[in-house]
Amino acid sequence: MNGGLLLGASVLGLLLGGIYGLMASGLALTFGVMRVINVGHSALVIAGAYMSYELFAHLHIDPFVSLVITMPVMFLIGMGLEMAFLQHLREDREQFSVLVTWAIALGVEGVLGYFCGTDLVQISTNYANSSFSIGGVQIVYIYLYGFLLGALLMGLLALLLRRTTFGWSLRATVLNRQAAQLIGIDVAKVSAIAFGIAAAMAAAGGALYGMLNTFNPGSWYDLIGDLLIIIVLGGFSSVRGAFIASLVVIMFQEILSVIISPTWADWSFFMLLAIVLIVRPSGFFGVKTREA
Amino acid sequence: MKQTFCIGRTGAAALVISALMVGLSLSVVGGGASGAASKSPITIGVSISETGDFSPDGAADMNAYSLWAQLVNDSGGILGHKVQMKFVNDASSTSQVVTNYTTLLSKDHVNFVFGPFSSLLTIPASEIAARYGYAFVEPSGGSQAVFNRGLKNVFEAEPQAGYQDMLSFGDWVLGLPKSERPKTAAYATEDDPFIGPEVAALQAKFEAAGIKTVYNKTYPIELPSYAPIALGVAQSKAQVVVLGTNLPDATAFTQTFIQQKYNPLAIDYASGPDQGTPWVKAVGAKNVAGTTVPLGWLPTLSTYQNKAFVAAYVKKYGGNAAAMSTDAGEAYSVGQVMAQAITAAGSLSNTKVIAELHKLTFKTVQGSFAFNKQGIPNGHVVLGQWVNGSLQIIYPPAVATVKALFPKPAWGTK
Amino acid sequence: MTRRLRIAGWLLVLVASLLFPLVFTNPATLSIALVTLMYVGLASSWNILGGFAGYISLGISAFFGFGGYAFAITLHAFNVQAGYTPFAWLPLIGVLTAVVAIPLGWAALRTRQAVFVTVTIALMLVIQLSAENLVSITGGATGYGFPIPNWSAAFYYKPFYYAMLTVVVVSIAVAYVVRRSGLGLGLLAIRDDEDKAEAIGVPTKSYKLAAFVISAGLAGMIGAIFAYSVLYIYPQNAVDPLISMGAALMAFLGGAGTLAGPVLGALILAPAQTELSYYVNGQLYLILYGALFLAIVRLLPRGIIPSIGDQLRSRSSRHVDLLEHDGHHVEGRVDADDVKVMEGVRE
Repeated sequence: MNGGLLLGASVLGLLLGGIYGLMASGLALTFGVMRVINVGHSALVIAGAYMSYELFAHLHIDPFVSLVITMPVMFLIGMGLEMAFLQHLREDREQFSVLVTWAIALGVEGVLGYFCGTDLVQISTNYANSSFSIGGVQIVYIYLYGFLLGALLMGLLALLLRRTTFGWSLRATVLNRQAAQLIGIDVAKVSAIAFGIAAAMAAAGGALYGMLNTFNPGSWYDLIGDLLIIIVLGGFSSVRGAFIASLVVIMFQEILSVIISPTWADWSFFMLLAIVLIVRPSGFFGVKTREA
Repeated sequence: MKQTFCIGRTGAAALVISALMVGLSLSVVGGGASGAASKSPITIGVSISETGDFSPDGAADMNAYSLWAQLVNDSGGILGHKVQMKFVNDASSTSQVVTNYTTLLSKDHVNFVFGPFSSLLTIPASEIAARYGYAFVEPSGGSQAVFNRGLKNVFEAEPQAGYQDMLSFGDWVLGLPKSERPKTAAYATEDDPFIGPEVAALQAKFEAAGIKTVYNKTYPIELPSYAPIALGVAQSKAQVVVLGTNLPDATAFTQTFIQQKYNPLAIDYASGPDQGTPWVKAVGAKNVAGTTVPLGWLPTLSTYQNKAFVAAYVKKYGGNAAAMSTDAGEAYSVGQVMAQAITAAGSLSNTKVIAELHKLTFKTVQGSFAFNKQGIPNGHVVLGQWVNGSLQIIYPPAVATVKALFPKPAWGTK
Repeated sequence: MTRRLRIAGWLLVLVASLLFPLVFTNPATLSIALVTLMYVGLASSWNILGGFAGYISLGISAFFGFGGYAFAITLHAFNVQAGYTPFAWLPLIGVLTAVVAIPLGWAALRTRQAVFVTVTIALMLVIQLSAENLVSITGGATGYGFPIPNWSAAFYYKPFYYAMLTVVVVSIAVAYVVRRSGLGLGLLAIRDDEDKAEAIGVPTKSYKLAAFVISAGLAGMIGAIFAYSVLYIYPQNAVDPLISMGAALMAFLGGAGTLAGPVLGALILAPAQTELSYYVNGQLYLILYGALFLAIVRLLPRGIIPSIGDQLRSRSSRHVDLLEHDGHHVEGRVDADDVKVMEGVRE
């Protein structure tokens, strides 16, 4: 086994893990705050990717720059979706939310397909293939930028959650929805905003996903399985857990890909899940919650 | 788009002209009972994957099929009948493909069916067509599994069965002067029933000729990143790289190679560089030079009706010729094959048409070929390479349009 | 609804299903009927775990696919000829699938609610991945063929229809028996409050596992028949997330937890889905399908049967069949549900 290859794969896995963490953390946030399993989260990622793509292809706006447009737009779309379709769910919302968000995802796929077609596209910036070398490992700028963006947004989210009144309300809602309501928190508003934040994170994740992969409106199917498994491993409602789990999981997978084979790396991914479930059903970092 | 292709109310003049054009042979076949004026249109049913896994290829197929019908009708139809396409959506699902073809055959009573693009849907669909005794000409379902089921009605409208596609690259490389011939090769392929065998066939050929395998991996189609495998290929420092890819992974591999500054002597892709503009967009115009891919079809070929097809396609759907995907050429060939078989049979009977399909040599935009008993075509795909900003044929020499680039220019230099 | 009326209703549906292929002989209609029956069976077997115990699985196509592969491989291994004889092997396939489901269910059922939903999705991916990777057994991505029966196009779907109908009747009967048994009451108690159920002595772990395994075995047989009718199985058609989702959606539409709900939901949605896809543009199809779903959840959040039940109840509050009414409890009805369970236990 080639040491350089192993190192290269680890670095790559770490950087890619940061990007996946960005996508997965939104999913964990929605679940934590709203008790909603958003299987449509990856459809929002793809919608974000298409927005960045269209802005890049037609107006030549760099996908990192256009985040100032796509993230707020997706924030509003997310809030709108939450208020229109999820807010009225009461009891059994975890179960029903699967159906509702699945329906939303199908709708998003249909709308994207209608306007953008089903051809595979990719956001190909002129620096997409540039890289530099550190100690024999080629680092690709785009992965590095993606990782940094992920870390930055995660940091901002952490600040928001820890240092603001809204963050306090949000954390209270995560801990106990009913109790939060009793102490006067407007849970409905908090939920809508949280969903909006998750959608905005999805937009950022989408821009990165669209730079690293070719995609079409159906690409969300490929993505959702990975994201869900990551948040299970991360303890489901923990944003930090989701981020760390995605670093660990993606690195693990990339390393196994090179030392064994990519097909069996996928297998061991599920083995990891099985082991975690058996040994520690609450995930790597899960706090003991009702559903774990 | 609505699924039926409306031909509108046909004027008497058009009918007279078409009757004249198709001539006497028709009245002989028609049994005299019906003149051209009362001839019902030939309906042809196709299931298309408009959404889901196979949707990227569905659109090109549908475009090419409808264009074919339009051009056929413009020139008077087949045996004096206009052609009417009926497209239905299967959302890439097997159960839907099954009900779709059953409905097309037993309820809508279409005269003929064409195959879906989606390779994995080809097998269930061809079984249904076989049950109804229908000819099943399909654009790109070329695995052994399609042909080994003992069906007499399945035909792949490509010059060569899909699983033999990459052998032309082997012929080209092994035909190089011995001193230039590469010594090592790396293989990476999708775990795909159609692409896997293509790569395996080429690998066997290379190994028999003494080219050492230094890297060989099969990977699942959906991965968070193809980069680790691409890294492995780059680190193997193989002189030749053979990639069993489609556009997404072809792009990812190429990007990693560029990022790693890895420049093999030659790279062959199962698919990717054949996609026209999307390929250039995906990897950048400076990086396409020297990438090779087996080609059944090219917009620049001087094959049967190709010029007219390309011009009409660009006119109808916009874009430019270079942007056309090979899927379009393959689907168009299905139409050409069927038109020739029906005309030769002189009848709309599928039994007769199947007999002709086994007998004739067909002229298509992909060149000429005939089918063997199993429906495997006997032609040869050519080897394409991006040279000077366009996709050209470099092998076999008889049809080459340009001198091959060997070794491949370094990334970014052209 | 009175008991007699209900029995009459079920009999009517059964007779209608038996006569259906004799009246509607068109193979196109029968192929849609076959898919519909498949969903009736899947939704009913899904209901045993998802409806009764409230454990929402989105992975039923894992067992659907496993059954299909097991059937193809068994027929090949024992050199079973095409035709009717393969159907005789179905019970074995059901048992085999159930056995495989035991360890998988054991691991998956260590989680609850949202995590369980997610784990079932992972389960589905594991089975699909196995089908792809165990090339020497499953044929890998290339897939696996069935022996081809020598039936005419007009006749072809009839044997499959009746085979599927048999399994569907078995599924509904099993669901009925489970519902009427202590197991069923235990599952309902688990759905209402698992901790409380455990506290009052319901062996929750084994009950949940039993429901999981029964549901998997039935799904395996259904998958086997369907794969045989298609004649070819490969990882993507064997284990299709859309099938899992479809089964769950249909059960919810009709009313999860009721016996008739999943049947009704599948009878409405399966043909609608097939016809819609046939006649409507693909993108529009997705949008319509999504919109239909949002509308159902919004307007009939508890499904059709429980909503009708509510209507009837409000008209005559005297004739409440406590066991028939068991849609999801809504806010403020928790006590009523507890009462219900207690009533059930007393029976």
